[in-house]
Amino acid sequence: MFIYSHEEMFIQEEYVNQKGAGKMFLEIHDLKKCYGNNSNKAEVLRGISFTVERGEICVLLGPSGSGKSTLLNIIGGIDTADNGFVSINGEKTAEMKERTLTDYRRKHLGYVFQMYNLIPNLSVKENIEVGAYLSSMPLKIDELLKTLGLYEHRHKLPNQLSGGQQQRTAIGRAIVKNPDILLCDEPTGALDYHTSKEILKLIEEVNRKYGNTVIMVTHNDAIKNMADRVIKLRDGQIRKNYLNEEKIPASELDW
Amino acid sequence: MRNPLRKRLLRELISEFGKYLVIFLFLAATIGFVSGFLVAGGSMIKAYDESFEKYNIEDGHFVLEEKADEEVISELEKGGVSIYLDFYHEVDVDSDLNKTIDSVLRIFSERTEVNLVCLMEGELPTAPDEIAIDRMYAQNNQIAVNDIIEAGGRDLTVTGLVALSDYSALFTDNGDMMFDAVKFGVAVMTKDGAGAFGPSGLHYSYSWKYKEAPKDTIEEKDKSDNLMKGLAVQAKISGYVPRYANQAIQFTGDDMGGDRTMMIVLLYILIVILAFVFSVTIRHTIVREAAVIGTLRASGYTKGELLRHYLAMPLLVTLLAAIVGNVLGYTVFKFMVAGMYYNSYSLPTYETVWNGEAFWLTTVVPLVIMSITNVISLMRSLSLSPLQFIRRDLSRTKHKKAVRLPNFRFFTRFRLRIIFQNRANYMTLFAGIIFANILMLFGMMMSPLLSHYQDEALANMIAEYQYVLKYPVELESEKAEKYNVTSLKTREEGFEEEAVTVYGIEENSRYVDWDLPETGVIISDGFAEKYKLREGDFVTLREEFGEKQYTFQVGKIQDYPAMLAVFLSAEQYRDVFERKEDDFNGYFSDEKLTEIKEEYIASCITEDDLTKVSRQLTVSMGKMFSMVNVFAVVLAALLIYLLTRLILEQNTGSISMVKILGYRNGEIGRLYLLATTWVVIISIGISLFVSTEIIRLIYREMMKGFSGWLTLYIDSKIYGEMFLMGMAVYLMVALLQFRKIQRIPMDEALKNVE
Repeated sequence: MFIYSHEEMFIQEEYVNQKGAGKMFLEIHDLKKCYGNNSNKAEVLRGISFTVERGEICVLLGPSGSGKSTLLNIIGGIDTADNGFVSINGEKTAEMKERTLTDYRRKHLGYVFQMYNLIPNLSVKENIEVGAYLSSMPLKIDELLKTLGLYEHRHKLPNQLSGGQQQRTAIGRAIVKNPDILLCDEPTGALDYHTSKEILKLIEEVNRKYGNTVIMVTHNDAIKNMADRVIKLRDGQIRKNYLNEEKIPASELDW
Repeated sequence: MRNPLRKRLLRELISEFGKYLVIFLFLAATIGFVSGFLVAGGSMIKAYDESFEKYNIEDGHFVLEEKADEEVISELEKGGVSIYLDFYHEVDVDSDLNKTIDSVLRIFSERTEVNLVCLMEGELPTAPDEIAIDRMYAQNNQIAVNDIIEAGGRDLTVTGLVALSDYSALFTDNGDMMFDAVKFGVAVMTKDGAGAFGPSGLHYSYSWKYKEAPKDTIEEKDKSDNLMKGLAVQAKISGYVPRYANQAIQFTGDDMGGDRTMMIVLLYILIVILAFVFSVTIRHTIVREAAVIGTLRASGYTKGELLRHYLAMPLLVTLLAAIVGNVLGYTVFKFMVAGMYYNSYSLPTYETVWNGEAFWLTTVVPLVIMSITNVISLMRSLSLSPLQFIRRDLSRTKHKKAVRLPNFRFFTRFRLRIIFQNRANYMTLFAGIIFANILMLFGMMMSPLLSHYQDEALANMIAEYQYVLKYPVELESEKAEKYNVTSLKTREEGFEEEAVTVYGIEENSRYVDWDLPETGVIISDGFAEKYKLREGDFVTLREEFGEKQYTFQVGKIQDYPAMLAVFLSAEQYRDVFERKEDDFNGYFSDEKLTEIKEEYIASCITEDDLTKVSRQLTVSMGKMFSMVNVFAVVLAALLIYLLTRLILEQNTGSISMVKILGYRNGEIGRLYLLATTWVVIISIGISLFVSTEIIRLIYREMMKGFSGWLTLYIDSKIYGEMFLMGMAVYLMVALLQFRKIQRIPMDEALKNVE
């Protein structure tokens, strides 16, 4: 568990209030997506609909090929749906032109991938500055580095870091612009058990501290326990969509 | 907040220092040389242009066979010109006092009104036994101030070195293909000193200046033509050269202007090639950083921001190279280029002038070329969606299928795949090799071409001595053979007017044993080549000092590279030019005809005259040819090095993986380097043909501007040398790359791709 000072608690509340926690924020309606054509045609999403409230941690769970990454990419505006729409705070991404969509991602979205995708010849701090540059009101970088537990490593290059530290940096880069939605695609997929838990704790802390909506794709069933909302996918369809009444902190996860 | 990606630039520069340094040095040296060329050229052209006024250069001159009466001069001056005496003596010189004539000096008496003298070193002569000689001639004959030379049988002390602006290019005769600053020079002496040579070698030359300067070249030509018509009825003209047609005055300006264009075009071709190298390098970086780019795009970075980021490095390197190049241009290279011009031309002193155009052409334009080439390439590369970058799916065709290969051995198929994979690199390499080989071929072919020309000219020489007489002097001697000769001018569209020598050859000539055709005339092969004439074609020439035209049918084309010439039988000649039965104006002889008095000889063509083109070009351009060769070899090495390095970097992961699988370094070298070897061999092979064809076109255009014609001859052994040189360069690069392969660690394949 993280212990916040009085001042930090104030900042946290301010961020959360700014984002308006608890309101319907993300709406996914009848999303369909196919790849290939004719005999090679593969239906990846077959009519997905759900909603996520602001400030929620939503875990998209499913085996490989269930369509969860495709769904995440469509939400993030880097892939398009064949049918249906994604509406974020009332704005439909499909109706946006490329330039608007880029601006939208710039202002509202943060991405974390399984393979970190850090810039190799920039230090930890500079990689985070890459994200900060995109926002007119970024978080304080030194403060964020401390939150991420990377302050001591801020001058190191990515190849001098462990996998977990690299993923923390990637989360820092995504979160520094204080996005409304943090999209995480298998953020622990390349990490061991302990490091995975550290990353999950960090995501949880970020969510609590800054009030971002987190959409996290994973195939690790245990992670669902830290989510506010769990959506299970299989063969491109939602098999389960429920609010997690028995949410536990990431630190208590086990698998 | 400034874009933090800019912090990568310095690190990228440091991490790839070797690569960028090589490009930078090459670019800076090239820009420096071109900048120096433009600065020195511009300053010298300015000095050259100003010399017309500063030294009061004539508007033309004519040479008469006899001294003109006062009446003739005053009659001519009524036509709006001022006439000035500019008599000269042409005397044989023994410059090193070894009792052998080694050159000819055209000695003018002191000039006070027109064609004034620029003193470059020492003093002007004040005593009859003193002489000031042309600086260029002095340099080529190792004559210094205070040396003594023997001229026209007199010992003369050289008091100074001068430049005569009406002889900035030392053309002996205006019809010559090339000037001759080795065996021909100009000089000035006091009036008494020049007069002491007596009538021997005296030429009655008169310069003219228009009282009212012509408005344009058309009016200048009209005025000149009218003057010549007026003169022709009053005196016997042996030479008439208006300034606009005087090669001794104009050649320098035209040549410096032509060099300038050539240099700029070469610079831009080179920048385009280097821009392609950069774009290939950037494409490689984009492939390597695809996931990062995808993540940045997914995070909200725009294409424009990324485009500017990847464009920054080539622009930075080009900008730095342009700045350093320009500094070098104004310092080191300016003197080098000025030295080159002073090695060729007898130019007056110059002052360096700031050349805004040179700065623009060597700084702004290269940056624009670099920007345009890379922006186009980057826009294409970055047009993929963020998702395609994240997935590293960078191919444009959706369902790309592997090219089916025949059932070759595994290694062969593997290499072919490498070639297909790196086709953009190899295409750039191919283009670069072609460009380098064009330069190399040009640099290497000129010396053998000049030697070949010289050998052919001498082998096809009609006689050791070709005398042209002012008066038909009868000789008892059996060794001499009479002939007729005149000079006509071409009138072909797209070409400058130039002189063609027309010979009338006696029947059963001992010197010209070619069978004259039954119909038509013989023309020299150079004439046929230059004007694309074939047997049966008609060619029209006009009088040199008149309007009359003559049309000849080409009956035969003869190897006679020495000049553009037409050969008629004596009978044909007399018929065409309406001469009497026994008329003649020259002698062919294999021995010197001492019995003809000097004053009766208009000119005598000897071996020296036929070889002056090759001699002068070797003196003027020899160093330049070597420099072009070095430049071409460095360019080839640079391109091969950069592009093969890129291919290896692109395959580092694969190379590491095959090492893990158990392949030895030698096998990996054979896989990855042999593919490049094939491409290099094929590129060099094809480039030999392509560069020959391109050189053919360039050479033709280049020679159009010259009087006469040098047959394009490419010694076949040059191809062998070019191939070997190309392969030697590649071998060195391949060894470097093999060391690189050896150093690739096995864990490279296991690392995170970022």
